[in-house]
Amino acid sequence: MKNIRKFAAIFTSRLVLIGFVLVAAFPIYWMFNTSLALDSELFGTGQEFLPHLERVGEVPQKLEDVGIFGLLANSAFIATGVTVLSFILAVMAAYGLSRFKFHGKGIFGFVLFSTQMMPEALLVVPLFALFATFGLLNSLTGLVLANTAFSMPVAVFIIKTAIDKIPYEIEESARVDGCSPAGQLGMIVVPLVLPSLAAAAVINFFDGWNEFLFANTFIRQQELWPASVGLAQFMGQYSTPLSTVMAAALLFTLPAIVFFLLVQRQIVSGLTAGAVKG
Amino acid sequence: MPHISFQEVTKNFGKSTVIHGFSAEIDDGEFLVLLGPSGCGKSTMLRVIAGLADMSSGAIEFDGKIINGLEPKERKIAFVFQSYALYPHMSVYDNIAFPLIMDRFKPWYHVPIINSIARRILRNTAEVKSKVEEVAHMLELEPMLTRRPRTLSGGQRQRVAVARALVRDPDLYLLDEPLSNLDAKLRTQMRSEITDLYKKVKKSFIYVTHDQVEAMTMATKMIVMNDGEIRQIGSPEEVYHSPADTFVAKFIGSPPMNIVAVTASGTAAELPNGEKISLGSEAPKTGAVLMGVRPEHVRVVAAKKGVSAVVESVENLGAESILALKFVSQNGDSEEVGSKILAKVGGSSVVRAGDTVGVEFEPSAFRWFDVDSQLAVD
Repeated sequence: MKNIRKFAAIFTSRLVLIGFVLVAAFPIYWMFNTSLALDSELFGTGQEFLPHLERVGEVPQKLEDVGIFGLLANSAFIATGVTVLSFILAVMAAYGLSRFKFHGKGIFGFVLFSTQMMPEALLVVPLFALFATFGLLNSLTGLVLANTAFSMPVAVFIIKTAIDKIPYEIEESARVDGCSPAGQLGMIVVPLVLPSLAAAAVINFFDGWNEFLFANTFIRQQELWPASVGLAQFMGQYSTPLSTVMAAALLFTLPAIVFFLLVQRQIVSGLTAGAVKG
Repeated sequence: MPHISFQEVTKNFGKSTVIHGFSAEIDDGEFLVLLGPSGCGKSTMLRVIAGLADMSSGAIEFDGKIINGLEPKERKIAFVFQSYALYPHMSVYDNIAFPLIMDRFKPWYHVPIINSIARRILRNTAEVKSKVEEVAHMLELEPMLTRRPRTLSGGQRQRVAVARALVRDPDLYLLDEPLSNLDAKLRTQMRSEITDLYKKVKKSFIYVTHDQVEAMTMATKMIVMNDGEIRQIGSPEEVYHSPADTFVAKFIGSPPMNIVAVTASGTAAELPNGEKISLGSEAPKTGAVLMGVRPEHVRVVAAKKGVSAVVESVENLGAESILALKFVSQNGDSEEVGSKILAKVGGSSVVRAGDTVGVEFEPSAFRWFDVDSQLAVD
């Protein structure tokens, strides 16, 4: 009886999980399916439920025709730049906020986190003026800086919380052992907060990868568009090459998924760290 | 091995002073124990000595040289933390080798990638290897060199912490309650291991504890602290037998020294119940004075002999028993007399709670304290 109940519980939970996975994965499947359909089917006879796998060979040419690889390279530049810059700045800021006492520490923390309270759209105009002054319009570097300013505070918060949990004695012990402050950060603290660093890196990478608003406003040259802006431009007034857009969109989601999978093991413990006491 | 001199060392945290004018001298090769209740400032003092905390005023000299502004590394000290403070992401080998690697570390090794290459090369040098293996052998850590600290027991972690201190061959070992996280059996074992280590390395040790058994068994010299002040400096024997004030008298010894308010006159003293006892020799002070006597110097005899007392409780500890006694007033009413004393008697006690007994004191074992200042009177 006990075994049957246990089996029923497991079966039900698995069933619910499978249901969730199907709901979450269906749009991706449909994107894949659409990318293999013909526009005549999409706008005419209707799309079939099963994908036309025999048309896979045509997809690379379609993507090359719309220049998706250049767009993806721009997105990769922004995402990598935001991730690396945020990582460097956030680790140092989080360490400083966690470990040092200084005047205005509370205000500094508040100002840093208050950037999260403002919608990005609110800052488009002032940033545009600022970037125009510094010659950062039409530049991917400018986008990296703008996005870093928005995503770094989140990373600071995640990493600071993790550093707060490291006992002071470990760094003091390193100090007695002759380790410099830079060494204490690099050789002791950073390896101990790796899960949180991974979590912060994923969030920053996604922020950079999904960048749309600033790119759409600040970048006028088509060859500097990230994929997000490029995909949106495929939507024509009179026609939209839906299957190509879907193929490009599918390709656009892949790097983010790959990056997530790479750090997945770390991120789970990073995001749940401190969720429970002890 | 330095001769250490503390000159009026004071430490403030904001407006509160946690160490008040700490002055003391420590000779070469001394095993000094800083003993005191929790929060008395002994760990803070140890951190000041290590250079992990700045002093607010005063000076510390190592061999006549003021070391106030020196970094911990420059003081040639090793520190064993209460929590061991092992590096959780490193193996036991790397934990022990870390100070040696740091000795050979150049500033540009901090550059990422170069850092990990440099550390890997340094940890595998013959000199580092032989030193780590030598210390690991001494502390029986060889089988666990590849393991991470989280897989070790408390005692093993403690030994790794000691090994990390030992491998640097420092002039001074600082230990901050290193046994407090261990169970009673392991604590006894590690206590003797640390004592053996002290004898083997022949260096100065400063050991912080609130456990008087550790202090009495390990120290060659003790500093008893309370509320950030030194209450007594001396050998364990001096501190035990000749406490400088009533705080030390009550803090050292288990059970603590009995302090009885008496009225002394010549070679006699009147107890709170009005009975007089003979002191054997003249009391150092006439009139109201506090009489200190250790529980082992209180003898329990048959009723009608000695001073009358009622047994309040009996704690049978096997090899000895602790009796709580209350003096009975001359009209037989024990409630009127406040003084309660403890007696330590050998073996299982035959008396029971509620019995009336006689109490005698060993005349040579009295220690006298001033009623107002609470300081010892000689």
